[in-house]
Amino acid sequence: MNIDITDVTRRFGRTRAVAGVTMSAGPGVLGLLGPNGAGKTSLLRMLATVIPPTSGRIRLLERDPGVAAQRRAIRRRLGYVPQHLGYYPSFTVVEFVEYFALLKEVPAAQVPRAVATAVERVGLGDKARARMRTLSGGMLRRAGIAQAIVNDPELLLLDEPTAGLDPEQRVAFRGLLRDLGQTATVVVSTHLVEDVGAACAQVALMDGGRIVFHGTPQELTARGEGRTAAGDAPLERGYSTVLAEARS
Amino acid sequence: MTEPGHEPLDVALGRAWIEVAAQLWRRRPGPVERVAARLLRSPGLARALVATPSLLLGWVLATAVVLTVGMLATRETGTPYVALFAPAVAAVGIAYAYGPGVDDAWELTCSMAVSDRMVLLVRALAVFGLNAVLGLAAAAASGVAMAVTFGWLIPMTAVCALALATATFARSALVGSAAGVAGWVITVLAGQAAAGRPTTVVTESALIVPYLAVAAGATAIAVYWTRVPKGTA
Repeated sequence: MNIDITDVTRRFGRTRAVAGVTMSAGPGVLGLLGPNGAGKTSLLRMLATVIPPTSGRIRLLERDPGVAAQRRAIRRRLGYVPQHLGYYPSFTVVEFVEYFALLKEVPAAQVPRAVATAVERVGLGDKARARMRTLSGGMLRRAGIAQAIVNDPELLLLDEPTAGLDPEQRVAFRGLLRDLGQTATVVVSTHLVEDVGAACAQVALMDGGRIVFHGTPQELTARGEGRTAAGDAPLERGYSTVLAEARS
Repeated sequence: MTEPGHEPLDVALGRAWIEVAAQLWRRRPGPVERVAARLLRSPGLARALVATPSLLLGWVLATAVVLTVGMLATRETGTPYVALFAPAVAAVGIAYAYGPGVDDAWELTCSMAVSDRMVLLVRALAVFGLNAVLGLAAAAASGVAMAVTFGWLIPMTAVCALALATATFARSALVGSAAGVAGWVITVLAGQAAAGRPTTVVTESALIVPYLAVAAGATAIAVYWTRVPKGTA
């Protein structure tokens, strides 16, 4: 399993953002759904090795992120797009992607080709030499995705990756997700239920720091059948039903 | 499977374009980055070093201007202003070298194979080194006694370590720089109150041990606060 976590919690002061999550995932696309404050971002940040858990056990790519040498090995095979993508405004798209390729220790000789492949894969070839400060919100998200995939990761973590993308770009992005999920474990945190239905083989629904549902999009849809829960689409009704049950 | 040489035309063109784009877009590192990559034996660390916010041209020029003013004031008055300015200037630079709110790509850097602690270390050393060189040049040009020219380097180390420790603890460059500057101002005022002249804080050899103790303690705090706890598996 590329992700294997057991009873993981994360506290920020008195707030328990993640409250005893246990889950495992192999290759494929896993959608992480949930309302604001459900703990999705905190869970992704722990999986990205940005913050350690307060308690519990995490193993990523069969390694322990608590051990420096193993954490480094994990990070070489990890791609991460945070919710708020930081970037150096004066860098070009290529410089931005190359910067993270180098920090991921992609062998120097392979960096130019890896950068070109990642930039083309997200459709930013015509903006390769544009400064980051000149890009639109959707282009910035795509540059963020390019840096995440530049090392051909085995574990890819995307926090709200479709925010700012137009419908055409979102369709293209779903295709990219499905492609990446052939070989890697891809975890996508999103508010957009339709993204999960279109691109994810598995879905986990978080609420109050806990995972209240883990299954396929079809199973989530089935939970809402015959119910009067809110939602314009079957998957949304399943989402609302599970949330209502978890809170009752 | 498609045999090499018999792949569809669009796939072959795509491959060819990637090879062309890789060469076309390839970035040539500057001389500083090339030397740093050799010294640090890490192209990633060298790239992170040249992206240090407080080593950008504007910061370096501002530092040079402050120390030049200090040098001119020292020559006019005989009071070693460079020695009094340099620790505070360096402390602000160190606090703004790395961290949330300062480094635009900090969150991403924290998930990289090149450790964020190493990035912090090389950036802090580089900022400290640059400030020390600029400060020494300004102090030497101001013509004050040799003891004063070098005397502020140890207090500068302590003040920089204090700023770094506070910035990493508070996760705020502003708080870190405020702690460094405030610590140095209090030290100078204490020197003024105790001996009647502020420059005693850079000329009194008895203060070297306390300065080194502060530097060591603050460095230990910074190391502690940038650790990743064990026991996650």
